[in-house]
Amino acid sequence: MELEAFRASLDAWLDRHESVLTPVPQDAETLDGQMSHLANVKRHAYEAGWMRWGWPERVGGLGGSTLLRAYLGEALTSRDLVEPGIYSMTEVLAPTMIDHARPELAAATVPRLLRGDETWCQGFSEPGTGSNLAALSCRATRSGDVWRVTGQKVWTSLAQYADRCVLLTRTGAPESAHTGITALFVDMDSPGIDVRPIETMHGAPEFSEVFFDDVVVPVDRTLGQEGRGWSVAMDLLPYERSTALWHRAAYLHRRLQRLLETVGPDTLDPSAVGEVAQLLSALRARSRATQHRLAAGEHLGPETSVDKVLVATAEQAVFDLVADGLGPEVTTGDDPESDRWRREFLYSRAATIYGGTAEIQRNIIARRLLDLGPGH
Amino acid sequence: MDDEDRRLFERSLRRACESTSGALLDRALDDLGWRAALALDAHLAVSSLFEVQGALNVSTSALDAVVGSALGLDTGPSAGVVLPALGHWAAPGRLAGGDLTVRGVAAASLGDAATALVVARSGHDHLVLESATADLTLRPVQGMDPRLGLLEVTGDDIPVTTRRDLAPGDWPGAIALARLAVGHELVGASRAMLELARAHALERIQFGQPIAAFQAVRHRLADTLVAVESADATLRSAWDEGSPHAAAVAKALAGRSARTAARHCQQVLAGMGFTAEHPFHHYLRRVLLLDELFGTARALTSDLGRELLATRELPKPPPL
Repeated sequence: MELEAFRASLDAWLDRHESVLTPVPQDAETLDGQMSHLANVKRHAYEAGWMRWGWPERVGGLGGSTLLRAYLGEALTSRDLVEPGIYSMTEVLAPTMIDHARPELAAATVPRLLRGDETWCQGFSEPGTGSNLAALSCRATRSGDVWRVTGQKVWTSLAQYADRCVLLTRTGAPESAHTGITALFVDMDSPGIDVRPIETMHGAPEFSEVFFDDVVVPVDRTLGQEGRGWSVAMDLLPYERSTALWHRAAYLHRRLQRLLETVGPDTLDPSAVGEVAQLLSALRARSRATQHRLAAGEHLGPETSVDKVLVATAEQAVFDLVADGLGPEVTTGDDPESDRWRREFLYSRAATIYGGTAEIQRNIIARRLLDLGPGH
Repeated sequence: MDDEDRRLFERSLRRACESTSGALLDRALDDLGWRAALALDAHLAVSSLFEVQGALNVSTSALDAVVGSALGLDTGPSAGVVLPALGHWAAPGRLAGGDLTVRGVAAASLGDAATALVVARSGHDHLVLESATADLTLRPVQGMDPRLGLLEVTGDDIPVTTRRDLAPGDWPGAIALARLAVGHELVGASRAMLELARAHALERIQFGQPIAAFQAVRHRLADTLVAVESADATLRSAWDEGSPHAAAVAKALAGRSARTAARHCQQVLAGMGFTAEHPFHHYLRRVLLLDELFGTARALTSDLGRELLATRELPKPPPL
């Protein structure tokens, strides 16, 4: 299907089904509610076909350009039907499975993720391994037809809801850095996994500590080759910095629009408003070009760090403007809308931290795009 | 043009800009068929010339042709267009009771042209007036960047020979095209500054290593690249959108990112970049002047903010 036709028929479908797709207020306010509503939206969209367009037929998709996926996420987030962060996990993890899992495994599992039957998480960071991902130490040891995994992950988004985990493990020597990492696809109900959600400052326990105690993972659940998990991770990160960001830009647009509708007269400095709107325009322009490169089959790489810096900057700028324009609501308002602004403002503080900090993105830009050689 | 023709065209523009500047370069552009290209494919002609012109710090009278072509005016050796005064985007002329007042600037080529084409406001309408260049006062713009070759154009009670009405969208359309052109020149200059700073950071050894190894330096250069790429992407998107709003946003981002680039690159170049011998200062001067043409980043940004606060409606973003 062509994008134009897809856009028109999806918009019409969303108009018709708005009532079942719109979260009830209680669902919009809690992470539990957002998660169950998300599953609901994905199931409806999958059954109507929308969620299948832009994905290869061998994993239950209907084929077509990746732009179709980008537009679906844009439409759902800009209508406020899903929370963009949890929706876009699909955009990050499904391509990884398609590229690196055994074809039968991808064919069996990806449709469940698309349909909302399952939630997946991404086990990358560890207590001693935040920005320095290649130093991870969660160990997997080969024993016949299985891996035995022992170690700990942290900041694992949605782990308490997850049915599966794309997990990075150390299979080489402890000092083997990026050459001794293997990626595994782990069932989260395996014996020996203990998930402990982390309370956060914005009130939603969206990530967890995950403990692995001699967890058995079949060898046929290896993603990519043994010892080549680093390239799986490097292939995944550009997805985290492409289509997911297009969805996030649509969400930021909607929230800035809402601020303009809500803010009192003479509260905001016009220059600040203009600058934030321009930052959003720049983000959308950059991200749009990235979506088109992806759709044309280009391999995305370190240049997506520019997109990531732009989205983090724009997100914080939007919510700084919210704090300026709606100070009393953000600080002390006790109605649901104020509560939402407050949660979003607080969450925006993490935009320069998660998914590779602002500093890590700049290191990537310096090393890979500006070719400045090794740094400190 | 196919891709191959396009590359050839861009290469020949670059060679021309590498070898000369000013009036000689204007003639070289005519020989290359740049004006013909402008009529056929404004996006290609404008983006490729202005980016390289910014990168090589040369000056041309191409902005005259850009505004002229947007207004359907025949500019060239015998007639030139008066542009808005620095820092402004209002029409340079004002017609009241048959008297024409002119406050604007122009490309150097107007000095040799017999006829000046002045867009003027009369009440709520815009029109184009022809007057003899000799009746206007032309003065080379000095100050920060005399090499840009701009002329200040002023005149009071100027006799007008012919007049033509403009449709309501004509002047905003011409401003939009000019803003895209200057935006590309700013991006070209910004990339050139970044390359100067990058080369210096790799060569300059302190504490036994290239200063490019230090994170404080790396992050300044990374921030510069992010600023330049965001302006570049916004310009490309503005061509696709074709609206005056998008062109204004792109010009503002290009102006602001050029200032960001100048600040970071100057710091990385340190003492070397402060000397007259190093080319950096020519770029710093140029981007300050270019920011003034057709509205500064600062003015365009507050203008946009006021509009958004008045309408309380973000413009629809460009579709995928």
